[in-house]
Amino acid sequence: MTEPAFVASRWSSPAMQARLRRRYRAERLFSGLGLLAIGIALAALVLLLVSVFARGWSAFVRTQLRLDVTLDAALVSLPADADATARARAIRSADWATPLREALMKRFPDVTERPQVRQLAALLSSGATLELADRVERDPSLLGRSVSLWLPADDEVDLVVKGRVARDLPEGSRRLSLDQLGWLAQLESQGRVRRTLNTTFLVSGDSREPEQAGILGAVVGSFLTLVVTLAIALPLGVAAAIYLEEFAPRNRWTELIEVNINNLAAVPSIVFGLLGLAVFLNFLSLPRSAPLVGGLTLALMTLPTLIIAGRSAIKAVPEGVREAARGLGASPLQVMGHHVLPLALPGILTGTILGMARALGETAPLLMIGMVAFVVDVPGGFRDAATALPVQIFLWADSPERGFVEKTSGAILVLLAFLIAMNGLAIWLRQRFERKW
Amino acid sequence: MGLFALALLVVALAATSFWLGRRRALATVAGRASALRSLPGYYGWYAALWCGLPGLAAVLACLLFFGGAFDLRLALGASLALSLAGGALALRAIRPGFPARVKVERAVGIGLMLCSTLAVLVTVGIVFSLIFETGRFFERVPIQEFLFGLHWSPQTALRADQVGSSGSFGAVPIFAGTLLVTLIAMGVSVPIGLLAAVYMTFYADPRLRAVVKPALEILAGVPTVVYGFFAALVVAPALRSFGVTLGLDVASESALAAGLVMGVMIIPFVSSLSDDAITAVPQSLREGSFGLGATRSETIRHVILPAALPGIAGACLLAVSRAVGETMIVVMAAGLAANLTANPLQAVTTVTLQIVTLLTGDQEFDSAKTLSAFALGLVLFCVTLVLNVIALRTVQRYREKYD
Amino acid sequence: MPKQEFRAAWLLLALALLVPASAGARDQIRIVGSSTVYPFATVVAETFGRAGTFKTPIVESTGTGGGLKLFCSGVGVQDPDIATASRRIKASEVELCAKNGVTAITEVKIGYDGIVLAHSKKGAGIPLTRREIFLALAKEIPAGNGTLVANPNRTWRDVDPKFPDQKIEVLGPPPTSGTRDAFNELAIEAGCKTFPELAALEASDNARFKKLCLSIREDGAYVEAGENDNLIVQKLVANPKAVGVFGYSFLSQNMDVIAGDTVEGVVPDFDNIASGKYPLSRPLYIYVKNAHAASIPGVREYVIEFAGEKAIGEFGYLVDKGLIPAPKAERERFRADAAKLTVLDLAKP
Repeated sequence: MTEPAFVASRWSSPAMQARLRRRYRAERLFSGLGLLAIGIALAALVLLLVSVFARGWSAFVRTQLRLDVTLDAALVSLPADADATARARAIRSADWATPLREALMKRFPDVTERPQVRQLAALLSSGATLELADRVERDPSLLGRSVSLWLPADDEVDLVVKGRVARDLPEGSRRLSLDQLGWLAQLESQGRVRRTLNTTFLVSGDSREPEQAGILGAVVGSFLTLVVTLAIALPLGVAAAIYLEEFAPRNRWTELIEVNINNLAAVPSIVFGLLGLAVFLNFLSLPRSAPLVGGLTLALMTLPTLIIAGRSAIKAVPEGVREAARGLGASPLQVMGHHVLPLALPGILTGTILGMARALGETAPLLMIGMVAFVVDVPGGFRDAATALPVQIFLWADSPERGFVEKTSGAILVLLAFLIAMNGLAIWLRQRFERKW
Repeated sequence: MGLFALALLVVALAATSFWLGRRRALATVAGRASALRSLPGYYGWYAALWCGLPGLAAVLACLLFFGGAFDLRLALGASLALSLAGGALALRAIRPGFPARVKVERAVGIGLMLCSTLAVLVTVGIVFSLIFETGRFFERVPIQEFLFGLHWSPQTALRADQVGSSGSFGAVPIFAGTLLVTLIAMGVSVPIGLLAAVYMTFYADPRLRAVVKPALEILAGVPTVVYGFFAALVVAPALRSFGVTLGLDVASESALAAGLVMGVMIIPFVSSLSDDAITAVPQSLREGSFGLGATRSETIRHVILPAALPGIAGACLLAVSRAVGETMIVVMAAGLAANLTANPLQAVTTVTLQIVTLLTGDQEFDSAKTLSAFALGLVLFCVTLVLNVIALRTVQRYREKYD
Repeated sequence: MPKQEFRAAWLLLALALLVPASAGARDQIRIVGSSTVYPFATVVAETFGRAGTFKTPIVESTGTGGGLKLFCSGVGVQDPDIATASRRIKASEVELCAKNGVTAITEVKIGYDGIVLAHSKKGAGIPLTRREIFLALAKEIPAGNGTLVANPNRTWRDVDPKFPDQKIEVLGPPPTSGTRDAFNELAIEAGCKTFPELAALEASDNARFKKLCLSIREDGAYVEAGENDNLIVQKLVANPKAVGVFGYSFLSQNMDVIAGDTVEGVVPDFDNIASGKYPLSRPLYIYVKNAHAASIPGVREYVIEFAGEKAIGEFGYLVDKGLIPAPKAERERFRADAAKLTVLDLAKP
């Protein structure tokens, strides 16, 4: 029989060369697409971070006005034998608005009409009276003297000084009147306007006034919530992981538990919020908006993740360690408790920190259980009403005052800082302590 | 004194029993610990468990039984009595030949098992509470209307003498809205995530990988409320003004804005799971293809991707499940009108957004309006459950083929 | 090993003791209710808290209807102490309260508010009459030959040819909101009554009258935008063709980006609402649980602060936030009621 003749490929033929070129072009196109995809993802991340940072960095800066205030001793009416608390109360309830108004009127003597005076007084924040009271409380010798003080400006003035709001907007679109802008310009030319670090943002609770609003209440609320989450999810998660990995018999029941846990890890967080609402608030009547309930709900959400992380950490410990311990006479629980668990601990801790970081950023379950109220005081315990940092961001995003846009972005920066710290800690732990067997 | 202080008291009693038990065990052998059957500490734990567990059980029983009308004195008396009795019984049982370790380890083992069944209890709790409330909902609204009705107008009247909406609960527009936003999100995340994973495993040099991998992890770690803020403040207005320049009427809360940002959020998800699927394809297939002269793109397109397809499909299903369940982005960027449309430039509402809207405000649990939120929650849970089960099974079956 | 176990036990105990024990009764005031009164209640709460004697009250915006429902659930520690409302409490709600043990309620009128229909400054305003509001938003309107049809008007031009050819898109409150109730009564019902055949129904068939004259359309032209009026303002700014329905305070605080439509030719501003010339004005209230005023610290003092001249007087700090103060005689009357915790009598206006 004749076989078909073997025809060698002519690599130098034009047809072949054309095909090669086409194939290489397709190759370059494909790798170009891959690079483009990565570029888009990175660009989106950069855009997100830059837009948040651009809007939020100024939240850490506030504007202050310097005024020469005469503190008449008669402002605070104290009986001779007043003790500390009575003095504090007298100072707090004194009328500090008057000396501030007088100080402004002295600086601008041609302002006499009542509506004009109100506008002038509106240059200062409503928290200026509180700061003044605080200063007098700390140093009562200020009474009866004339002092030059730096006091916080109103949020509208703050936005103008920071350049976030233009000064030359048409009438009707402007929040500050022409008069107010004029007085501000005069104070600036006299060097009586400065921008400093906004400590208020970091040490106060929520407020209706943007210049007085701070994130401390939300941070403490988040912290208390995470403490409850950790206290419940970590022991239960590790215990369940130990049982499932080491002691559970391989039967239908444990298979079901495994499938169940894998599914729970992927259930949307809002469903846990519904569960928390139905069980903790409705059925058990726990206090609404409390970190206790928030922590319980988030613990249920984090539990499957912790179990999965714990299992993989325990599985990674080599059999050799277990066999050696058994060989020396240890019981299974002793093997686990004295040898395997300490070796798996870095992995478990890493998983826990990552789980807590995820719980820190969760908002939806907390919305369902009521942490959406206006809470000013920093919470003191687990049953006090509180809010959490992501919920505070959500609430501020809906506030009308222009100043809250920068406060929301500032709070986002703080949240991201915490998350970066936690993730960084987890990565450091992993690199320092995890052993490659 | 409070419930908490009572629990602490029981714990303190248990700690004392530990000390007493251990001391007694050593006393029975005149200090020679080697004569004891178990280590001395186990005798202490035995006593502590027998003292603490009955006491805590009594406290728990009082709490569950009486709920709000918690009688502190009764609980105090019951728990003290049980704790002391248990402790005394345990101390009496301690003698040199007593197998304390075995007993303690058995108790610990039971405890571990109970902890693991808690995870099941959570699922049972979710399913039960959702089904219970949904059942009450379907007593008022027929199930066909909910699943197939086209009109969603749930804001029914609050009082007898008020006129509210007609209370139609046809959820199809909401499902359609969720589907639209999910499709847009997948349209963004699947191509980008997949191509990124492919590039990282085949083309990228280690320096690029060292930059991109952490960047993707950061994308994954950003809280969804931040994405929502970004969508509402940056993306939606930009889309709207872009649409105006093109002459299109883009709603300020278009499905496109929410879908785009949700897609960006899911990219790391798709990319890392696809990465796992691709790297799990055996090297032999890759090398065989190169040996035959294929370029990298041809290898990927004809060999690797088809081999990794089940894993990638599983990754996509998990990503869909994530998109369907996402709440904060849509709460901040999507609309409230139940609009049955396929136009991504219009405002739509989604299941998660409706759940949040329905449950903030009227908090009573016997109006059809609040119960409909639970019905929506049950649908959400079932859909994500089905998607997750299929995805996990696909990935597992795929893993078996090559192991 | 025993030492380690010992130490572990004591460490656990010590850690557990660090956690603060739970308290029994509540020492923080809980306020729920209207989204319109929310800006005022929160400012008073903050001012009250800063005085230092009591903890700052917790304020939640649930809507007037939802808030009163929670308020009337009982006198327990988990029930709220004060409910704010942008309409007067209804008889059915007083009954519900009594049924659950809330028998003594004090009513304090804190001021007035106008319901405005606002639009973005970038769009054009639409001067409206109540009849036109009815024709744009009601569920069913007269077809001209004595019958009623489902509202066919899609654009403002359909309602009246002099209006722009713009889709009817109104963002307003849901039924939990007191603003919705007030809007229904002051605008929709009033517009309905300009049709003689519908006005006649009030006497002859009241149930049908209520259904026709208080129902708002559900085909998408009216969007229920939740209990967050700030959100409506933001949506208006993003969408110049939409119209928003909310209280005057939200207009006054955002005058640089939104403007109010005239109703019956009257501009919604401070003077017109205060004098009553603006037709859609209504009073705002807070309701106090007398039982809680005795048991929860600070409730009485908060109410007295709210009713005080510094807050709701003509130059009070709430007026800066957009509250229209009540006439002096009313303020003094309710101030006396607040001090004495006079029990509510629905018959008295």
